[in-house]
Amino acid sequence: MNAQSAIDLTAVITTPENIQFEYRIAGPFRRLPALLLDFAIRVICFLVAFVLLLIVGLSIPFSGSIATMLFLIFWFAIDWFYGLVFESSWNGQTPGKYLTKIRVISIDGRPINGYQATVRNFLRLADFAPMVSLEMFFEDAPAVYMVPTFLVSLICMSITSRFQRLGDIAAGTMVVVNERAWVPNNVKLEDPRIASLSEHIPANFRMSSTLAKVIALYAERRTRIPTARRAELASHLARPLLKQFQFRDDTSPDLLLCALYYREFVTKDAFVDTRVQSLPSPLKREAPVPSSDDSPVQAPISNSLPPILNPSTTESTATANPIPLDRQVL
Amino acid sequence: MRIAELLEKRRQGWVELENMCDALQRSNYPFHKKGNLVSRFSALYRAACTDLSMADQYQLPPTTVEYLHRLVGRAHSQLYRSRQFPFRKWIYYMSVVAPQSIFRDICVKVAFVVFFGLFTLSALLAWSEGNFPGFAERVLGSEQIEQMEQSFDKPLAGNFDRYVTMSGYYIKHNTSIGLQCFALGPLILPSLCALGYNGVVLGASFGYMTRSDVEQGDVFFQFVTAHGVFELTAIALSAAAGLRLGVGLFATGGLKRLESFRLNAERALPIIMTSVMLFFMAAFTEGFLSPSSLPYIVKASFAVFSSGLLMYYFVVLGYPRPEIDEILEESEDNPWRKIGIEYAAR
Repeated sequence: MNAQSAIDLTAVITTPENIQFEYRIAGPFRRLPALLLDFAIRVICFLVAFVLLLIVGLSIPFSGSIATMLFLIFWFAIDWFYGLVFESSWNGQTPGKYLTKIRVISIDGRPINGYQATVRNFLRLADFAPMVSLEMFFEDAPAVYMVPTFLVSLICMSITSRFQRLGDIAAGTMVVVNERAWVPNNVKLEDPRIASLSEHIPANFRMSSTLAKVIALYAERRTRIPTARRAELASHLARPLLKQFQFRDDTSPDLLLCALYYREFVTKDAFVDTRVQSLPSPLKREAPVPSSDDSPVQAPISNSLPPILNPSTTESTATANPIPLDRQVL
Repeated sequence: MRIAELLEKRRQGWVELENMCDALQRSNYPFHKKGNLVSRFSALYRAACTDLSMADQYQLPPTTVEYLHRLVGRAHSQLYRSRQFPFRKWIYYMSVVAPQSIFRDICVKVAFVVFFGLFTLSALLAWSEGNFPGFAERVLGSEQIEQMEQSFDKPLAGNFDRYVTMSGYYIKHNTSIGLQCFALGPLILPSLCALGYNGVVLGASFGYMTRSDVEQGDVFFQFVTAHGVFELTAIALSAAAGLRLGVGLFATGGLKRLESFRLNAERALPIIMTSVMLFFMAAFTEGFLSPSSLPYIVKASFAVFSSGLLMYYFVVLGYPRPEIDEILEESEDNPWRKIGIEYAAR
């Protein structure tokens, strides 16, 4: 949200509600499919119009010339006004952008207006420059410069912080990702030992906010990391904590971090499972505890356990809370 | 309160907001007519905004924060939707803002001087065969001269079918060239070259056809008189718009370079819009009136009429007056308004 997390791919918007939020900016590889889709749609429209007007022109007497004129005007309009019309009426999206889930907005976060849509679409030709002739590829092709190389737009995108092409700079717009947000539920703490281990963490231990963030990031990503790497990564953080909590040295670092996550972010109410048997205490002076994830004495892991923070488990609490949202006090 | 509890409480609102966003994206959903839905939407949006602003304080997990960013972004782009061009605004823009900003634009003056200067010079050189032998042939090429003579060999007599087809062709062809001239403006050279090329070639054709020993001259002027005014002005204007864009890249006037480029694009817009309009009018004239066999006096009076129209548009409507300036200073559409807090803040 501020300078600390200044990653290239986000643009910070301050809304009229005085809230800051981030947009993910679409780069060239996200925008190229949209461009190609739009081109395909335009070609299809062109062909359809051609066939329709051909039929009309041939079947109705004396309408041939008008059909030709309409076709030429349609061709002109679709060449120059396609993006302009769609972006100003579809809230910054053309059909291609809609399909690839990107959207054009002003750099200050407001939707684009007609002027901006006009400028950025009229300048498309400069972005395609320099045009290359087909003659370079085929000997007998006509010497017409018609193949865009996109060099100007690529250079512009690489030197601006918001991946703007020339038309975007001129219009003061940017293209952002407009994906449907995914539900953040990829934390899976299925290991039943986590809950019991968390009970042994000293009650007076208070986590700093940065530590909490690191642990949350670790817990969200650990499923994608191989077991050996998990232990390696987690041990940096876990070793001092093990010492502080006076746990056995061979307690799995991964397990400890998960337990910390569990203690910090998950209430016991949200994770009730009677099948979890309490483990022997991991304290050094007491009985031994399984030392790592893949040890043979591992407790049975039940797949039927509900994933933590799953909406399905929370619906009952949510519906039992009929206070209007804007009145709720956090 | 534990974080999980907090999340559970809020999640229902978030999911509801997300569903409303989905509904809004379907354009046929009659959302804007239902006041209670709109107020519900904005309440949910504000709640999500608050959640996001408190995310740090409540130590929400990073994925949840990311989710909130996207949700708020989505809702934001639905709440503040793009406005369409209302017709009345267009009229205002084209009749008040455009002539005013064209009149005070130095680039338009430069483009006009360059274009019509080269045009006149080239016409004079091509006309005075005695002093500058072979100028027209070198500029135009003897092949093209022959082709031109051929096409104006017979007296003009079109039929309706041909008028309609050709006006469509002129709209597509000429306006595209004008828009290309504008689009290549940021690269400066192509735009200027196109302007100079058009000025020299058109001037040479006019000069050549004025020669007393060229018989096709009469038919040529029968053809070009009517639409020439609109077309030549439109060519000069489209290059002026391109020039305005290019100038913004180096004459920044104290702004950041990119910001100056953006501002000058806004200033170029009325010029190119006027140019497109003129190209359209020229195309219809060229399609219907020019090739007809009407007497020359009709076409000449149309040319006089169109010159008067342009004079009125550019000079009478465009001349700066204090009362118009006052209106324009307030107007958000005016690209020449004083650079105030809005730009200083960026």
